[in-house]
Amino acid sequence: MTNEEVKGAQEEEQQAQSKKALKKQQKEAEKAAKKAEKQAKLAAEQQSTDEEDFAKDRYGVPPMVQSQQKLDRTLVRVQDLTPEKAGQLVWVRARVHTSRAKGKQCFLVLRQQQFNVQALVAVSDRASKQMVKFAANITKESIVDVEGVVRKVDQKIESCSQQDVELHIEQIFVISQAEPRLPLQLEDAVRPEGEGDEEGRATVNQDTKLDNRVIDLRTTTSQAIFRLQSGVCQLFRDTLTNKGFVEIQTPKIISAASEGGANVFTVSYFKTSAYLAQSPQLYKQMCICADFDKVFCVGPVFRAEDSNTHRHLTEFVGLDIEMAFNYHYHEVIESITDTMVQIFKGLRDRFQTEIQTVNKQYPSEPFKFLEPTLRLEYREAVAMLREAGVEMGDEEDLSTPNEKLLGRLVKEKYDTDFYVLDKYPLAVRPFYTMPDPNNPKYSNSYDMFMRGEEILSGAQRIHDARLLTERAMHHNIDLEKIKAYIDSFRYGAPPHAGGGIGLERVTMLYLGLHNVRQTSMFPRDPKRLTP
Amino acid sequence: MPMYQVKPMSGGDIKIDLPTCMYKLPNIHAQNSGCGEHAHQNGEVDPAIRALEARQDEIMRRLYELKAAVDGLAKTVTTPDADLDATTIPQGGATSVFSGTANLDSLLGKDPGALRDIVINAHPARPPLSLLVLHSLLCQRYRVLSTVHVHSSIPAVPPPLLTCLGPRDAHSYTRQRFQLGFTLIWKDVPKTQMKFSVQSMCPIEGEGNIARFLYRLLAPEPRDPAAATLADSWVDTALFQMAEGGSKERAAVLRALNGTLGRSPWLAGAELSLADIVCACCVLQSGSAASAPPNVQKWLKSCENLGHFSRAHALLQ
Repeated sequence: MTNEEVKGAQEEEQQAQSKKALKKQQKEAEKAAKKAEKQAKLAAEQQSTDEEDFAKDRYGVPPMVQSQQKLDRTLVRVQDLTPEKAGQLVWVRARVHTSRAKGKQCFLVLRQQQFNVQALVAVSDRASKQMVKFAANITKESIVDVEGVVRKVDQKIESCSQQDVELHIEQIFVISQAEPRLPLQLEDAVRPEGEGDEEGRATVNQDTKLDNRVIDLRTTTSQAIFRLQSGVCQLFRDTLTNKGFVEIQTPKIISAASEGGANVFTVSYFKTSAYLAQSPQLYKQMCICADFDKVFCVGPVFRAEDSNTHRHLTEFVGLDIEMAFNYHYHEVIESITDTMVQIFKGLRDRFQTEIQTVNKQYPSEPFKFLEPTLRLEYREAVAMLREAGVEMGDEEDLSTPNEKLLGRLVKEKYDTDFYVLDKYPLAVRPFYTMPDPNNPKYSNSYDMFMRGEEILSGAQRIHDARLLTERAMHHNIDLEKIKAYIDSFRYGAPPHAGGGIGLERVTMLYLGLHNVRQTSMFPRDPKRLTP
Repeated sequence: MPMYQVKPMSGGDIKIDLPTCMYKLPNIHAQNSGCGEHAHQNGEVDPAIRALEARQDEIMRRLYELKAAVDGLAKTVTTPDADLDATTIPQGGATSVFSGTANLDSLLGKDPGALRDIVINAHPARPPLSLLVLHSLLCQRYRVLSTVHVHSSIPAVPPPLLTCLGPRDAHSYTRQRFQLGFTLIWKDVPKTQMKFSVQSMCPIEGEGNIARFLYRLLAPEPRDPAAATLADSWVDTALFQMAEGGSKERAAVLRALNGTLGRSPWLAGAELSLADIVCACCVLQSGSAASAPPNVQKWLKSCENLGHFSRAHALLQ
């Protein structure tokens, strides 16, 4: 068969599609022509480059850094490029944030974490036409080494963090090239919600961000969030260590569920199965019984809750405190609230730039708190809610909307985003909660709230094996399953209380963000297991 | 008893024909009728009569009591702060006006189950001294849970400001034990501000207005409009001319105070009142106490002698 015959046969077979196919072919031909043209042009340019480039040693793509040599070169941090450095010739390693070529010059914005500076390559006796072209073609997000002279600028550069200086590039080398097509644009990822819609500009949705977390984490907002989160952890450790607490490590693979049986992940454990720890509570309490007096731990906690809300994760970092007290569990509340206040104060005083950065994308009111922390009792909360028109029973647990409403009422009166609610009804707390000595309906338990959302739930624990058994039986709990727990109190146990907070939630609520996934570096929820 | 006896004039058994058209009555001259008279003449009182008299007295007494009670009740119904009136009858001594336990329910409505918490936001640069004095008076009258907080808008406050409501109550861990909460928050506010019932009351601004509210929890307003206005006027004068005014205005207020205090020991009425509390605090705060005219000096001393100014004084030093 000749080609024509084939064609004819095809036409007969696909008469309906023929027109489309023709169009497609035409387009492809056009594309090929364009490509050829471009290549020819590129080749021509290449030729011209090869012809007369006096600056060819001052730019390019050097061989991959494989630790061939140890250069004794000092690299200056972008944040240190200040007017005091004006006139100096410096080396900088940074990412190309944006580049914009304009005739004989090319403007680059070089970024290092949340700092960026404007850089300029212009045709001169130090830089050739080809060098400018090369700089203009460096893909966004590539890592480059540049040498340049720091120069003061007359007009402030509003778009950069280093507003008073720019860098006049004399040498530029690409250390690591980024692929030309990025899955998301950094500018889009930091655009405040809502603003994009008005101006027809793109914003990036949560899932795209999380799917490409490596790039998303490079944004100024993410940088600020996780620097602040690290601060929370640091302040938590420092404050408690200063108070005489001991940091402990607890096992995450456990044989029995610590809090009831639900919500635990089962993992295979050789010939049997085990669970992932829901909370380090049992081990914290055992440390108290072992005379460690005051302990805290920072570690992952697992919850197999199939709830897809803005504040639930299946794995999060728990900051847990347990402490023996002398006579009243309020000693423990005071210790915990003081720790929280120290964290809030530390963040307010040391992380103001990070808070501002996050606020640019996610505006929120500054976090307000009182020192010492406000403590209200559950009965008062119920009365306040009833006054506001909510119908609820004395011993009913607070629903999430009621918690929010209560948060608003408290904020209105006391102007604080952080408070403690004390004396919960015994019926809504776990079996190990110590009952109130004066009223058997209530208990020595407390929740702490930030911006109307619960961040900590704690209580005085029953440290008497007999009472514990009684309470467990009252809750219809199989005594065999918690035998080890009860037994740990048989050999003398000091009165103690404690509680645990979620690091991600605290960061989220402190910054006034609306999704806990933003404050978890690689979040795990019922629908996400990667990256 | 020796009495003469006469013989019967007629025979005892005369037959008289009685007409049948009349009733027949038994003989009323009983055999022992003379005996009663006899006893009476002797001055002896029948115990039955005595008991009767005692009962009558008792009934009369109870009637009077009942009358008094009804009168009191009528007064309560017709005038709203009458029961306060009853508990604050001056019993001699100036501070006695504020003593005794009053019924907060009648003043503020039924207890909603939550602690009635008065929240006062004040700037640490301008501590509201008069409110501290009133707090001290409130503590004398009610079981008050006093707490001091620092708001995050203020980096730090000097330690005396943290203890300006006195030491922590030993029972502060049970909020239900208290009738009234007094929560002082040091905060970056342009004006001293009070929040009480968020649902039914807007925030109250200005030390003077807050002082009036607190004072009304302590003592009844003078019924007389002129007296009430006089007290109000002194409060305004103190806060607007003394605390916020220039040196000339301050001097004028001191002169006016001196004149009034020359005629009467207290500014409004016969006892210490809100006018005295606010004015004295403003004089103390302005630092012109030492250079004040003699009547003012004397009056300041009297205020201090009542003992409620000690914490305000501690803040000034």
